[in-house]
Amino acid sequence: MTATSLKRIAMLSLVALFGMGPLVLFIGNANASSHTTFQTNRKNAGTPKSSTVVVDPSTGVVISYGNSAITYSAPSAALATVGQALFLQNCASCHGTEANGVPANGTSGAYPNLVGVGPATIDFWIESGRMPAADPRAIQANRRVARLTHKQALAVAAWVNSLDPSYPDVPTPHLKNANVSDGAALFALNCAACHTIEGDGDALAASTYSPSLRNIPAFQVVEAIRTGPGNMPRFTGNLSDYQVRDIVKYVTTEIQHPQNTGGLGLGGLGPVAEGFVGLLLGVGLLALVGFWVGERQ
Amino acid sequence: MSSDVVNTKRAKSQALGPYGKVGNALNELDDRLGVAKGGRTFMDKIFPDHWSFMLGEIALYSFVILLVTGVFLTLYYIPSTALVTYHGSYLPLDGQRVTEAFASSVNLSFAVRAGLLMRQMHHWSCDIFIGAIVVHMARIFFTGAFRKPREMNWTIGTTLLILGIVNGFLGYSLPDDLVSGTGIRIAYSIVLSIPVVGSYLGFLVFGGNFPGTAVIPRFFILHCLVIPAVILGLVGAHLFLLVRQKHTQFPGKGRTENNVVGTPMFPVFMAKTTGFLFVVAGVTALLGAFAQINPIWQFGPYEASRISYAVQPDWYMGFLDGALRIWPSWSFHSFGHTIPLEVLVPSVILPGILFNIAFAWPALERRFTKDFASHNLLDRPSNRPKRTAAGVAVLALVSMLFIASSTDVMANFFRLPLNEVLWAMRILVIISPFVAYPITWKICKELQAVKGGGKRKTTNVVTRSADGEYVATPAPVYVDDLHSELEASQVPKFIVEEPDEQNESGVRTTDR
Repeated sequence: MTATSLKRIAMLSLVALFGMGPLVLFIGNANASSHTTFQTNRKNAGTPKSSTVVVDPSTGVVISYGNSAITYSAPSAALATVGQALFLQNCASCHGTEANGVPANGTSGAYPNLVGVGPATIDFWIESGRMPAADPRAIQANRRVARLTHKQALAVAAWVNSLDPSYPDVPTPHLKNANVSDGAALFALNCAACHTIEGDGDALAASTYSPSLRNIPAFQVVEAIRTGPGNMPRFTGNLSDYQVRDIVKYVTTEIQHPQNTGGLGLGGLGPVAEGFVGLLLGVGLLALVGFWVGERQ
Repeated sequence: MSSDVVNTKRAKSQALGPYGKVGNALNELDDRLGVAKGGRTFMDKIFPDHWSFMLGEIALYSFVILLVTGVFLTLYYIPSTALVTYHGSYLPLDGQRVTEAFASSVNLSFAVRAGLLMRQMHHWSCDIFIGAIVVHMARIFFTGAFRKPREMNWTIGTTLLILGIVNGFLGYSLPDDLVSGTGIRIAYSIVLSIPVVGSYLGFLVFGGNFPGTAVIPRFFILHCLVIPAVILGLVGAHLFLLVRQKHTQFPGKGRTENNVVGTPMFPVFMAKTTGFLFVVAGVTALLGAFAQINPIWQFGPYEASRISYAVQPDWYMGFLDGALRIWPSWSFHSFGHTIPLEVLVPSVILPGILFNIAFAWPALERRFTKDFASHNLLDRPSNRPKRTAAGVAVLALVSMLFIASSTDVMANFFRLPLNEVLWAMRILVIISPFVAYPITWKICKELQAVKGGGKRKTTNVVTRSADGEYVATPAPVYVDDLHSELEASQVPKFIVEEPDEQNESGVRTTDR
């Protein structure tokens, strides 16, 4: 190896060192952001890693975690026995007695395995009335009046969660300081592509549909965003708890109580309804007036 | 002459002469401009009384409302895509970066007195304008009013329909909201789909790639200046030809190919039509006040990264949207180029064929029927079964395409699978004209066979005799209906000059 090539290597490594130098700034950035406590990423969104945690001092079990935007609380472990009874009554015929998606005489894979999905998922499906399913063979379960009460849902969630503790827990959003404008922008970016910009929901491909958001309680909106029921994607890393709270605020105010300053909202159906009104009430009424003032033989 | 005589009322009116102040003023005008002759013709212009002749007026007066409300909107609208931070009275948008076009549209809705009313009236008026044009056009078509000598007016009318649709789309795009931005995106793709010149044309119209910054100012100039000026000119030509060629009329008592029966412009028709202007304005104002249309604040600003599902265009673009939705995804790749037939055929070729048929129809009908005569008496639609059936077939096709633009709404509303609704619409679009044609043709034939068809039904007078027996006696036929000219008129090969009939009082006729 000649002296010149050694010199070259030394020069190159020097250049590389300076060239890589700016990356240090990014490392610094990453460090800087990690100590703003509640930054979320794909792994920790909706889990205790993203927030301050309250632990039961006697057992060491996480009771709740969260931040000023959303508090996630674990269903009380004391409810688990009641929960198992309720599960056997209402859910086991499909999901099996072990909640693993294998019913008594069935094959595995026919129904979803519920072990390790987290209490929020169980709570969402039961409290939105989708489970117990009206028609287990339906492609998509419809929202309806819940068959179980809030506490019963929590009990089922507590028992299923006791099989393999996992997250997210059942959320409670704190909407007081939410920014509805940020929520509107995030809604347009993340939700409108399926739920429509007015939140009415619509038919998707095949027999699936995106449900209307017009009458959904705030905590269920959080549950849906964090757990991704059905076809809906699970929003984790790209939405922080603060952003989720902003979206929930926008949904529960402007989507559910839209400011129809211009008069009757016409069902939020947009140009379809407007076309009907314009043609029938507008042109139709005027043609009738013409019929009235004109000769009619 | 002594002064006390001049001061009396009678003396003053005598000094004014037989025409009064107004008459004198008109005399002065006539001395200089010679308005008396033309004015006389105009005042005496005869308008047939039939109600279907009012349909075109709905369109005319809607256009007047569009101009008035549109001028109001231009005072507050800013045609710019420059980004500003919105700080207005609609809080869910507060602090968002939006274009000036969107911000000014929201501001004129919320912060300008009567701004939202004007915007909604403008939009409703547009829906009514194009709707009335279509209904008017259907009346002209089915009664054969487009035949010689009025083919030119048919051409102008069809052009007006196209211009109305184009200008409606441009105006719908101006607020730069999420929904209309999606519409512009589709329009850009349609332009791109044209083989060979598509990409050049797209860059020419949009001033670069989508979305760019030029599209809003360009659409603004087109929407507010160029196209309205052309529409105004063509409306003027439409009405000039109407006065020049005089109205058509339905056959009836005292009506021939050589006269027009109806009411004169002054005073009767002028009062009627002015009243109708106010009714059109009133209905539009009621809709604008009580029915919300296009709430852009709920949609938010357009960004290329954002999209809303379930977006439909305004109703007059519906047939294009429907055709786009149901067309199978066929495309042609060769020599490094793609010809997207799934866009080109439904959104360029299909409307091209439809409007070209509309333009060519008078010539086509002349060629096929060999009827080269001038026609001033209208047809009853049932007397021309083939034409009526063809018109209904085209209307059925366009209606089905229109309905196809709401496949998602239907699927969601009736909880049907979207793909099956799509397939159902494909089948319905294809078969609808072939079902509509024979049914209409048969109905027309049946109507022709009905004795006294088109005449009013007479009442049955029920009398009770002294014995308590009830007897139903048909009342005598209405005097007007006894007239033979209500029967189907034959297609005349040439016009026979007939002497004017003796008219009853109250019916005025003019010679052509």
